[in-house]
Amino acid sequence: MSIETLEKPPSYGRRAASYWFIDGLPELLFGLTVVLFSFLGLLFRIDAPTRWMRPGLRVQPDSWIFFGGLALYYYLERRVLDILKSRVTYPRTGYVNPPEEREGKVETLVVLNLRPTPPLKENVTSFRLRTVWPVLTFAWLFWLNGNLLDRWLAPSLMPAIAITLYLANRKSDHPYSWRSLLILGLTGPALFLINVPAYYQQPLPALLVGGWLSGRGVLTLIHYLHSNPYPRNMVKGRA
Amino acid sequence: MTPQAQEIAQLDRLIHEPARLTIMLILDGVSEADFLYLQREGGFTQGNLSGHLAKLEDAGYVEIEKKFKGKVPLTVCRLTSHGKTAYTRYSERMRALFRGNGKAD
Repeated sequence: MSIETLEKPPSYGRRAASYWFIDGLPELLFGLTVVLFSFLGLLFRIDAPTRWMRPGLRVQPDSWIFFGGLALYYYLERRVLDILKSRVTYPRTGYVNPPEEREGKVETLVVLNLRPTPPLKENVTSFRLRTVWPVLTFAWLFWLNGNLLDRWLAPSLMPAIAITLYLANRKSDHPYSWRSLLILGLTGPALFLINVPAYYQQPLPALLVGGWLSGRGVLTLIHYLHSNPYPRNMVKGRA
Repeated sequence: MTPQAQEIAQLDRLIHEPARLTIMLILDGVSEADFLYLQREGGFTQGNLSGHLAKLEDAGYVEIEKKFKGKVPLTVCRLTSHGKTAYTRYSERMRALFRGNGKAD
């Protein structure tokens, strides 16, 4: 067999980067954060006194709850994940520090997606850049800047978010399957059929994306726990 | 002795052994990894990995640290700067050898 015909295996650095997602915890944490704070935003929108939520107001105060929660996520994500993983993942399949993500810039995402083969030591999974940023960008555009599409907001936004997540993650080591994203995209037409009033539509896309990510995270976690039972001889230390 | 044979004779035998090369490859790709991760990635037994890590540690290529992540004790391994230099030198030498023999990277 000539050396040219040998298929190059993925580098250990990139394997370590995708190992970070083996337990579904990063998706679960981000998904739950988005669900929690968009749900609080929705509750605020439903229950807040009219002096707080005025229809004429361009930036509604409920969006600050959401973005405040997401700022907290950015600040605490790695620490919370380390605590969770030290109880769930490290005793089962070991610990590895994944390669650092590149700076979170749109140019980086474009360059990574256009490259025929990803760089060997690059953390091309880049969860923040490929998943967190698109979700936040859509929320920023259509929640913080007012409802520009009225009753069409959530129905048109859901397919757009699904397509964006697909395109942004297709060259990642942790891509989303089109079937899974189709389910997310189809929630848009479903919302149109339910005929949700325009006033409640702004928090809905974030709530649905959060639910979708949490669902994916839970399924991955169940599968991981099932295939990697807690080692019996793991009492106080090893090696 | 031909120049190629000289080059081959100068290869770092400590790294050249397949199991230790695997450990060096894994650790070169990440900043640090624990014992269990190395064991699973490299397909080692516990005793086998301990033995190879001890040799690499004695040579100053790898440093091993016992630390805690939360309440879980971990045996964390990482390449030292000396280990990185030795690994880079080894891989460059191998590449040069193959290139000299008309084989692509």
